Amino acid sequence: MTFPHYSRREMLTRCGAGMGALGLAQLLGTSGQLTAHAKGADGLNPLAPKKPHFPAKAKHVIHIFANGGPSQVDTFDPKPALEKYAGKPLPAANLKTERRTGAAFPSPFKFQKYGQSGLEVSEIFAHTAKHIDDICVIRSMHADVPNHEPSFLLMNCGEPRQIRPSVGSWVTYGLGTENQNLPGFVAMCPGGFPLQEAQNWQAGFLPGIFQGSYVDTRNTDVEKLVEFVKNKTAPGPAQRKQLDLLAKLNAAHQAERPNDPQLEARIQSFELAYRMQSEASEAFDVSREPKHVLEAYGPGDQARSLLLARRLVERGVRFVQLSHGPVQPWDSHDDLEKEHRRLAGQVDKAIAALISDLKRLGLFEETLIIWGGEFGRTPVVELPTPGSNAGKVNGRDHNHWGFTVWMAGGGVKGGQAVGATDEFGFKAVENPVHVHDLHATILWLLGFDHEKFTYRYAGRDFRLTDVKGNVVKQVLA
Amino acid sequence: MTRWSLLVTLATVAAPSAVGAAEPPAKATPEQVEFFEKKVRPILADNCYSCHGPKKQNGGLRLDTATGLKTGADDGAVIVPGDPAKSRLLKSVRYENDFKMPPKKQLPAEAIAVLTEWVKGGAAAPEDAAAGAVAADPKSHWAFKPIKNPPVPQVADAATPIDAFVLAKLTEAKLAPAPLADRRTLIRRAYLDLIGLPPTAAEVEAFEKDADPRAWEKVIDHLLASPQYGQRWGRYWLDLARYADTKGYVFNEDRNYPFAYTYRDYVIRSLNEDKPYDQFVTEQLAADRLNLGDDKRPLAALGFLTLGRRFLGNTHDIIDDRIDVVTRGLMGLSVGCARCHDHKFDPIPATDYYSLYGIFASTSEPKDLPLIGEVKRTPEVAAFEAEVAKREGDYKAELQKRYTATLKKLRDPAAVSDYLRAVIELRKTPDAQVGNAVRERDLLPFVFNRWKAFLAPQFKGWSPVYGPLLALADLSDKVFAETAVEVVAALAKDPKTPVNPLVLKAVTDAKPATFKAAVEALSAVLTAKPPEGAPSRDQAEVFKVWAAGGPLDIAVTDFDKIQNRADRDALTAAQKKIDSFKATNPFAPPRAHVLADKSSPFQSYVFLRGNPGNRGPSVPLQPPAITNPARKPFTDGSGRLELARAIVNPENPLTARVLVNRVWAGHFGHGFVRTPSDFGVRSDSPSHPELLDWLATQFMQDGWSLKKLHKLMMTSTAYQRSSVTSAEAFKLDTDNKLLSHQNRRRLDFEAMRDSLLATSGKIDLALEGRPVDLFKAPFTTRRSVYGLIDRTNFPGTMRAFDVASPDTHSPQRFQTTAPQQALFLMNSPFLAEQAKALAARPEVAAAKTPEEKVTALYRVALSRNPTKAELALALEFVAEDDPKAAFGAWPQVAQTLLLCNEFVFID
Repeated sequence: MTFPHYSRREMLTRCGAGMGALGLAQLLGTSGQLTAHAKGADGLNPLAPKKPHFPAKAKHVIHIFANGGPSQVDTFDPKPALEKYAGKPLPAANLKTERRTGAAFPSPFKFQKYGQSGLEVSEIFAHTAKHIDDICVIRSMHADVPNHEPSFLLMNCGEPRQIRPSVGSWVTYGLGTENQNLPGFVAMCPGGFPLQEAQNWQAGFLPGIFQGSYVDTRNTDVEKLVEFVKNKTAPGPAQRKQLDLLAKLNAAHQAERPNDPQLEARIQSFELAYRMQSEASEAFDVSREPKHVLEAYGPGDQARSLLLARRLVERGVRFVQLSHGPVQPWDSHDDLEKEHRRLAGQVDKAIAALISDLKRLGLFEETLIIWGGEFGRTPVVELPTPGSNAGKVNGRDHNHWGFTVWMAGGGVKGGQAVGATDEFGFKAVENPVHVHDLHATILWLLGFDHEKFTYRYAGRDFRLTDVKGNVVKQVLA
Repeated sequence: MTRWSLLVTLATVAAPSAVGAAEPPAKATPEQVEFFEKKVRPILADNCYSCHGPKKQNGGLRLDTATGLKTGADDGAVIVPGDPAKSRLLKSVRYENDFKMPPKKQLPAEAIAVLTEWVKGGAAAPEDAAAGAVAADPKSHWAFKPIKNPPVPQVADAATPIDAFVLAKLTEAKLAPAPLADRRTLIRRAYLDLIGLPPTAAEVEAFEKDADPRAWEKVIDHLLASPQYGQRWGRYWLDLARYADTKGYVFNEDRNYPFAYTYRDYVIRSLNEDKPYDQFVTEQLAADRLNLGDDKRPLAALGFLTLGRRFLGNTHDIIDDRIDVVTRGLMGLSVGCARCHDHKFDPIPATDYYSLYGIFASTSEPKDLPLIGEVKRTPEVAAFEAEVAKREGDYKAELQKRYTATLKKLRDPAAVSDYLRAVIELRKTPDAQVGNAVRERDLLPFVFNRWKAFLAPQFKGWSPVYGPLLALADLSDKVFAETAVEVVAALAKDPKTPVNPLVLKAVTDAKPATFKAAVEALSAVLTAKPPEGAPSRDQAEVFKVWAAGGPLDIAVTDFDKIQNRADRDALTAAQKKIDSFKATNPFAPPRAHVLADKSSPFQSYVFLRGNPGNRGPSVPLQPPAITNPARKPFTDGSGRLELARAIVNPENPLTARVLVNRVWAGHFGHGFVRTPSDFGVRSDSPSHPELLDWLATQFMQDGWSLKKLHKLMMTSTAYQRSSVTSAEAFKLDTDNKLLSHQNRRRLDFEAMRDSLLATSGKIDLALEGRPVDLFKAPFTTRRSVYGLIDRTNFPGTMRAFDVASPDTHSPQRFQTTAPQQALFLMNSPFLAEQAKALAARPEVAAAKTPEEKVTALYRVALSRNPTKAELALALEFVAEDDPKAAFGAWPQVAQTLLLCNEFVFID
């Protein structure tokens, strides 16, 4: 029979206690709580901006989640050796993945060197490739199992099955957000939910306020993007007048009840909400962008989502995750050539536009962009499984042994490849980077030591990286 | 020397600071700590931690913590403080014993000298920061000691024993208690606390006028007797039971728990009946093992265990979740850590975890859930049953169709040949590799094993049917074509190796060029249509392969082992049609999500580092030692009933304390212990340990009655104090741990929504029933506790208002203040609807003048008359009312009253 009520101070202490010795002081310091407990709403707002463990360049994150598992050998990890074995078995036995696999399957796409760094990128990401000197391609990613469900959760929450906060929730918990008129963590997916649904942006055991706000970016109507953002009964001046009345009633109530910061916090929340109505409507309205910007991103849900991501980051939103589409669109078991070309075609131009745009606005250096799926795909062809895929023998199976994730922006050293897969792109062999290592690195880029960034729950200090993870130093600028 | 200086320099920068850690122990002086941090730790960190640090503890030795330094390795201490000669650590670094450390290169002499000096000086090290609060012996931790019945302090003016305990502390702290709250505040507090709904203005006034000295008591009794009490407090229990109406993410099956609501209704009913808490707990763990008599509804209590997340079907995680809800939920004990290793702080070894694991691993969930209520023979129920029968028929037809098709394929000569060949060709393959080989051949392990089992006796001696194949299997490919027929013919001539004439003919006719072709020839014989009439001896010998239980006779009950993905998907879809229909049809008779003991209990053992494949010592099924020191291994089935009894055993130091603390938090905003589901050694120490024990004792003496406990707390003066916080109290005791005043509390989402509906006059107070979507128009007016809780897609509004996440046990609700909450109140159609309804209530609509109308609104919304100033403000607001406006000024005023702080805060 739990009754609610952490006091605000407890709440802060609780969050702070998890952040090591520095955390509490910072939390209280930034909010002025230490000296003037009842100072105002800011000190009571768990989303108020907070400083990380150490200064860092990256302040925002845009995670372009290619859900379903894009193929590394068709995108950012060229493997010409596959040509030699085309249609024949690879010299070593295929590693075990979800389904049966067969002969080597060279990429149907052309690769080309780009930029000063001369890194090779597939033709399906030709636009993105123009920014290759700003991109750090981690070619030696690996995960635990070749199945979507646990791998989605591992990538997004650092644990395959149990309830854990998502990366975005951790980051928002640690840093708060810069714009109180917008949600701090926005999870987009045009057309529905990715596999595992809201668990991908869950707050887990953190307070619900740190959960990602889901936005179906197929909608263009702001009301469908942010719940209750518009008043339909008495909007405009009538609502302002009503809120003024409310403020007066609350002020009189508060005057008789001194020394209670909760009252002030709630009073302020209405003013925040009032401002949010206009600010959110404006922020989520992509059509306000000039024509040349709209054209640079191109048409379609992906492009609109990425442009929206930029608008949000520009306005101080901390973490934006964009899943490509419902369920697992990048899951090309069959027709890989056609499917990968189509999927990449939906984002390539917009990713390039996003990078240019962030640079133009001076936001690139403080925004960490992450691209990748929950795993990659096999360099060998998938064989038909009875009663399952169409058996066209022109696709690839899931591959957790080795895959590619790239990062750009905030504190990342671009124009380099980190680690490598084997000769054929099956398994990460050189400087393998586990998903936990990726998370440790993301946190580092945001100013957190992943081993000290903790939250006390059920008698234990939990971390995003559990008891694992090493920062990949090579990624850092 | 250079290297050494560098070490020291680095260390001064990198050594963890002791600031922020708990008090250093008396024995390590600040100078000793400084010496350790500046000189000793750098040596250990650079040379030892990689094998004896946080990540690895070779030989069980850990040198990065004070505890590790003290306890030493698996075979005992390595340091004898003050005695370098006896310290094995020093012998090792001097390379004087077998453990030469570090193994690669001996430490420089300076470093050895430092270590020696340190040991000589007592080997003092700063207390581990994390373990700072840990008492020397965890068993001496207050919460693990027996509950005592402490004497009530003698305090003048203490109205009740509770007040004696509270006032004693306040006097000690020289803090004056706040005065009593006025009657209006009191009755509002009591209503919102106990039933989650506000009193009407008439009820307030009646209480204000009631001169009976028992007036307050009467209010409490009245509320405790109201069915709305269970609807309010049942919700708190559902928080800790991580209640939801759905399973969370699942692959393809239906995601609803169709009868979760029977558990919710059981909880509310039990609270309303004031079921003794020990019985309440026992039923939730083991109702199936109790003699329930005719009323089977308590079977639904098992939902406490069964209604958790499904973790993609992972049994270990499902059990972990059940262990968690039992231990944290009922005993404030977190044992999850012990899944992988002994708990670092609390006395919970991994063996205790796996004792509990064994209990739940010894239970299963029956597919057919028991009916728990009388089924009324109405036409609707009959229609429901007919539809279920139809859908079940569809399922069975689908199953039969797919089973028949699959079996036909397996009886096909090609398939028979594949399996025969596999068994023969893999007969020398090591067992461990057979599984993979079978999968590589794209064969079903289940069928392969049946062929293997069938052929094993045939291959032992000589088989006239299969013997020839074994002989052919050893022929090389080169000579196969030329010699195969000869070989078989030769065998047939030898009386020791007779060959079945049908087999001989088939091989001779086929003239096989490869072994594969030979097997195919035989398979054709085996799968030929059996002749009509009595078979000949030769035929009978061949057709043995068709015998019952043989490789070609696979029962439909084993279909799950031979189906492919398409079969599985089709059957899951057919099952889903049954389940979704049951889950959503209002005429489905209520059932309980129960558990049952398996026929033989699981022989539990420790999974080393949490890995099920890594077998550790066996453990009996029993409760954790710390909760029941006099424990004995359970003997009755899974032991669930015995576990329940151990939990509610009055000797259990935790159960009553944890419950009393939770109820106290319900009345005062927070408990004596502010980590209500963690009473372990790292928890907050209780603000009033004696009072907590006194209440726990009273609670048990009162027959574990929750209603008596509520009354005991609410009749104290402490409960009835004003919540106005004096500057002095705010300064000296900001968090009001000493209870100098009541705590002002904000209504949680449920009480707020219910209060809105009560105020608009629309509320439906009905008990029981299927869950309803709270956020879909037209909006339901049922109380919030009946709202659908979808675990996977938890409604955004609930999330915004900090409703307990149903993912896992929820110790207590967060309380955040966020603009999303305000947006819901300002702009949601639900609020607009309530505001309009409030403005249109008869008592408001009937008012003749604007003054009377404002007064009526205030009386309904806030149970009082407006002040003059408030009246003026409202009149000014409505003065400019545009009669043509869709929403008008009056509903706006009504909404403002619903939004104001007075409405949502309990003073």
